[in-house]
Amino acid sequence: MVTVNYDSVKKAYGDTIAIEDVNLHVDDGEFAILLGPSGCGKTTTLRCLAGLTQPTDGTITLDGHDVTDVHPKNRNIAMVFQNFALYPHMTVRENIGYPLKVAGKSKDEREERIDEVAEMLEIPELLDRDIANLSGGQQQRVALGRAIIRRPAVFLMDEPLANLDAKLKISMRSRIKVLQREMDITTMYVTHDQEEAMSLGDKLIIMDKGHIQQIGSPDEVYHQPANQFVAGFIGSPSMNFVTVRRDGDRIRADDAPDTFDVELDSEVADRYRDHETFTLGVRPQYFEVHTERTDNAIEAAVEVTEPQGDEQIIEVEVGDQPVSLTVVAPSAIDAERGDTVWLTLDDDLVHGFDTDSGRRIVGAGDQNRGVASTPEGEMTSD
Amino acid sequence: MTTKQDTQADVLPYEEPSGIEQFQETLREYGVTRAVTYGLLGVFLVWTLFPVYWLVTATLKTRQTLLSFPPQWIPLDAQFGNFAQLFAQRPDFVQFIINSTVVTITTTILATTIGAMAAYAFVTFDYPYNLDFHLPFYILSTRFMPPIVTIIPLFVIFRGVGLVNSLQGLILVYTMFNIPFAVWMMKGFFEEVPDSLIESAMIDGHTHLGAFFKIVLPLVKPGLIASAIFTTIITWNELLFAVILALNANAMTVPVGLASFVTKFSVQWINMSVGATIALVPVLLFAFIARQQLVRGFSMGAVGK
Repeated sequence: MVTVNYDSVKKAYGDTIAIEDVNLHVDDGEFAILLGPSGCGKTTTLRCLAGLTQPTDGTITLDGHDVTDVHPKNRNIAMVFQNFALYPHMTVRENIGYPLKVAGKSKDEREERIDEVAEMLEIPELLDRDIANLSGGQQQRVALGRAIIRRPAVFLMDEPLANLDAKLKISMRSRIKVLQREMDITTMYVTHDQEEAMSLGDKLIIMDKGHIQQIGSPDEVYHQPANQFVAGFIGSPSMNFVTVRRDGDRIRADDAPDTFDVELDSEVADRYRDHETFTLGVRPQYFEVHTERTDNAIEAAVEVTEPQGDEQIIEVEVGDQPVSLTVVAPSAIDAERGDTVWLTLDDDLVHGFDTDSGRRIVGAGDQNRGVASTPEGEMTSD
Repeated sequence: MTTKQDTQADVLPYEEPSGIEQFQETLREYGVTRAVTYGLLGVFLVWTLFPVYWLVTATLKTRQTLLSFPPQWIPLDAQFGNFAQLFAQRPDFVQFIINSTVVTITTTILATTIGAMAAYAFVTFDYPYNLDFHLPFYILSTRFMPPIVTIIPLFVIFRGVGLVNSLQGLILVYTMFNIPFAVWMMKGFFEEVPDSLIESAMIDGHTHLGAFFKIVLPLVKPGLIASAIFTTIITWNELLFAVILALNANAMTVPVGLASFVTKFSVQWINMSVGATIALVPVLLFAFIARQQLVRGFSMGAVGK
């Protein structure tokens, strides 16, 4: 049983605050992902747990033991670095076995474990090679091997796939997931790639500007984003945001009130009854594109189309002082630059955000939409 | 996008070579370029190697043949007895060699170790007031002034504490003198070692000091060897400090011994040549053995791929 707990952790460098007010909990065996844009503090958060960065304030506990001031070597953690950090003056075998060697394990035991790990990662033929002669993917596996050989209490990974090419990234991604499940080791994983985070994690911890924005399952952060930042960060292409003014059940875009003028389902509009203006958030997938004039639709001019095979991404502009929108449409829809299309909204799936605070406006009946109700901490995706 | 650029590159118009280019091509064709290159190399080789040749051959000549005119380019009547003669006339020369060896080895070990650790500390740790930038500069600045400036105060201090005429005194001075070089040389090497390697070593169970010795030092070995060779050469050949701080045979080093062949009444050319040739050997040998590491050291290829 290994749980991780951060209690009001803060790290400041002089006047610059790297992370602040970080409170989080990772359950035993859970795969937690720290996700956010670069400079958001996710790596700092991870390094505090590794002991490589000393928090300015707050406590970190592993299994209830306060480890805030414990040296990294005494924390029983393993870490995979973005640049793999393999020891260049050692062979693959020596690299993988190094944590055991430092721990004073006998040569026989080391050899046995090295072979076992190499078998697991399918690299037995590489064992006697030099690090310099390995490809990126092979180095990645050696780095994983060196991390798992010790059977650590917690497994930390700092953007371990960032240096690999796209194809390798996807195959290593599933390998890491399988490995984590098989070994059942509590894992914290840092990435800036939301797609990677969604596909790997049990729990996503989304950070921005040194603060945690939301903690939740992949489904929760996608369908119930806590605020405009999370809504915009998760999902590809990004969610569209339009500042709108509400008039009864009708909403009009501030910048294109004549064209962007939609009547919402009154139940949906009711959520926003306390807000005269707010930021409307619509995922590109939740527009429906029509090539003929349709009721309650937004007239838009096609700017660019990007075919993606089964579907296409269409950039459109609405109104004279144009509001740009990104929509995803089936590739069967015939639209070209300069064409006029009509967009209808999927009322149920739009979000509203408070224009000042960025928080999502939550109304009755909105709580569980789109989310399979699952107890927190269990797998919700796949 | 890339394909577009590629095709653009393909259709670049063929450029007619300019007059100078055509002239260069002609020179190359008739072997003029090659001849000039080798000619210059030859001049350079004679320029640097002839004095060494003259020194070494002098050890096999008599005083008369050495100073004869026209010069005797090749020693016809080799006088191997010159070596024995030096030690017979100046038995303390053995002591000079021992002194030089002790001082050089100790200084090299001390300066390289202290320099490496200081450089590592500058590279790895954070200091207030930007000191990690300023301190290495101040360390180097101790070498800005002419060494002669510090000799008088050093002599007075050393006489006060009894370090004049002692090997310890020389070692102290030389170590101080060589540390700036070692720090600056090693700094570049440590900067090349990624932080993540040290962090990884700590997570794998090392203390910071353990990570330094087990992971970092092996990686910067070429740098260590290069700065060790530098220190060795400078220390072994140093004359100025030694001639003032080491006045008797207890502490005199080889360069001081060589200088003592120049007396008020005559210059002992043959003894001096023999002594100098002996002094040449250890440093040349050391540099030759370590030449591979030395070249890697100077090209700063510590970890990079």
